[in-house]
Formats: sequence, structure tokens, C-alpha cells
Amino acid sequence: MDANAQLIEHMMNPRNYGSIENADAQGIGKNPENGEKVLIHLKVKEEADKSVIEDIKFQAIGCSTTIVAGSIITTEAKGVDFDRAEDIIAFTLGMLDRVPPEEAACSEMVAVALKAAMDVYTKRKIDPEYPVISYKINNSCEIPDEKGKQ
Amino acid sequence: MHEVWLETMMAGFMSSQEKREQLFDFAAIFFRHFTWLENELIKIGETYDYDRDMVSIEVEKLSDLLHHIIKKLSALDLQLTGSPDRMLAHRISSDIHYIISVMRKMEDERIGAFSRALRYPGVVLSKEATQAFTRFLFEESYKEYELILIYNYLKAHSDDAYLNRIFQILIDESQFHFKSFGNMMAKMGILSVPRIVMKELYEVEDIVQFLEDGIEEELTAKEECRVLSEAVGKESAELAAFFDFITMQEDYHITLMKEALAHYRKKEMDD
Repeated sequence: MDANAQLIEHMMNPRNYGSIENADAQGIGKNPENGEKVLIHLKVKEEADKSVIEDIKFQAIGCSTTIVAGSIITTEAKGVDFDRAEDIIAFTLGMLDRVPPEEAACSEMVAVALKAAMDVYTKRKIDPEYPVISYKINNSCEIPDEKGKQ
Repeated sequence: MHEVWLETMMAGFMSSQEKREQLFDFAAIFFRHFTWLENELIKIGETYDYDRDMVSIEVEKLSDLLHHIIKKLSALDLQLTGSPDRMLAHRISSDIHYIISVMRKMEDERIGAFSRALRYPGVVLSKEATQAFTRFLFEESYKEYELILIYNYLKAHSDDAYLNRIFQILIDESQFHFKSFGNMMAKMGILSVPRIVMKELYEVEDIVQFLEDGIEEELTAKEECRVLSEAVGKESAELAAFFDFITMQEDYHITLMKEALAHYRKKEMDD
């Protein structure tokens, strides 16, 4: 399947879209410029001293690029431990300067939402009432014009 | 009922014969049932939301989806026996029985709405125009679905006749756009159910802010339609004319939303 076909597939059938009843943690990635955001729900199990993402779902107020990014990143993160999930986040954030700005903002929103949800889970091990964390993104969704203004 | 409405709309999109219009009519009836049941819940003070399961509609034959809808309708019919409003339950149940009997007799057909062909019948689009068109259809079909739910929720929770007239027009307009884009998606082989709308979008806390943002969004949508019209216009006069028509409709929506905004502001001043 070529890249375009894969994109169509994720747009037609986004993986892991929705919420988890009795989720262990939730986290938000937010674009302060336009109010778009991604909410990640996690169900986590402890296995051999590691926190493993047993189930993951996402919801979004955003464009179809955000849905595609959410579908891909949550598929990668499902079933992995937190160390591997941190790698996925780092990899995603590391490639943002190589993609168009509007795509970078969408992928960053999903990555930081996952990070927020994992941080909430870790905090809740000590304080079960720890609130949902919301991280803002750095990339802008706006495409700069010819003069470099946004 | 929410899911049944959507699934019946989808059955209409993927159907290519005369039953198509019949399925759209049935979907419209289910949408009315959805609003009646919502009104009933509000009346008895029951909390509710528009959450639903992800709906899977990718079938090879129309009968596969119709069987699935009939199964859901039968389950809904059973649930209605516990409804406190007997008149309402009877009315909906009667509709369900008739619709099931018609659906059972519908001629089967193989479905091409999921072929992922990315070709619009009778039109040859460049790769760029195809990508722009595809993206537009995914974005806007969701957006129209979202607007239907938002205006429906606002209408359900308002007893202001002036505003409800505006909300109903906007619901009808979004239903038309949703139907138009769904038909196009089926022709392109990319038919899919819009994703679930987040509760905070339709449970509007600040209506003035919502309308102000909505006017901005309509202006953006209008510009996107204009750009798309230009992109596809070189290759298809028919598609360009359609998007010009949609662009003009966005103007009307903006006018209605400005009227609603002025009404809300006046109400706030009077209060």
C-alpha cells in the first residue's frame, strides 16, 4: 500500500478513535492559536515493573490531518511500555521540522497529548486524584506567507 | 436512533438504484425520531449525550448493511416498550415496523462506495485537484455532521421561537450539504462515517462566542470552496458550478448566524 493509500485508509477508518470508560489517565495536547486539541485516554497495566499501554483511544477537535496523526501514533503506542512510548514521542517530535507546518502542528498535538496522559498516569501512582494535564504545542498551524509572516 | 439515522444515510449514499431516495427519506424519519426521543429525555430530566459507538459500514452488498440496520431497529423497538410516553413510543414503533418491512424487500446490490478509486465519474482530475477534493470531502462531511448535532442540541435546549427558526434552517442546510458530500464520497469510493463529535463542541457554554467563531469558520469554509472551485474548475465545469453554489450558501449561513448573534446580544442586554 503506498503512502497516499495509507492516508486514505486512516481517514476512512481512523484507528482507536473514541474514549475509554474508566481510563487510568487522560492527557491533552492543545494548539493555543486556534483552539484545536487532542485528548488521549489510556488504560495501563503494570507488567514486570513496567507500565504498559494496554489500550489507547483519542478524540480530537481538529482537521483530518490530526485524525490521521492520531490514528497512526496511537496504533504505534498500543501494547508498548512507557519507555518505547517515549521513543515514539521523541521520534515524532524530532521529525516535525521536516514536514509542512500544518502537519507538524497536528502530529505534535497528538505526541504531546500522549506525553501528558503518560505523565498523568505516573503522577496518579502517588496521587490518584491528580488532574488531567494539558500541554501546548510549539508549532504553528498557520502557513507563513511569502514575506515570512504568519 | 442516532446510529440508525447515520447508517441509513450511509445505505442511501452507497445505493445506486431507485431505493436511494427511499433510504434518504427513512433516514430523515429516523432523525426526527432522534429529536423526539431527545425532547422526551429533556422533559423527564434525564441526562443524555450524543456519544455513540464507531459505526462500521464497509460492506460488499447493500443487504449486509440493511440486515444490520433491521437488527438495530428491532432492538430499539423492544426498548420502546419501556418508554413512559406511550403515544410517542407507538408512533415510532409503527414507523419502525413499516420501514423494516420495506427494507426487507429491497433489491440487493454490490457496493462500489469503498473502492478507493479516487475518480469522480465523468471527470478527469489532476493529482493535485484529486487530493484537494478528497481532503475537502473528509473535512467538510465531518463539519456538516458536527453542525447538525450542534444546532440540533441548541434547538433542543431553547424555547425561543426566533432562534429555533434559524437553528432549524441551519440544520436543514447542513443536512443538504452532508448529503451532497456523502454522495460525492461514495462516487469517489471513499465513503465513511464521520467521527464522533466531542461533547464540549455541542454542549455550548458561551453561545455568543460560539456564533462569533462560527461566522469566522463559515468565512474560512467559503474561501476553501472558492479555492476548490478554482482547482477543479479547470477540469470540470460541473464541479466548479457546484462549489460556487455552496460558496453562495455559506453567505446565507453567515447572515443567519449574524441574526442569531444580534438576537442573543439583545437578549443579554435586556436581561
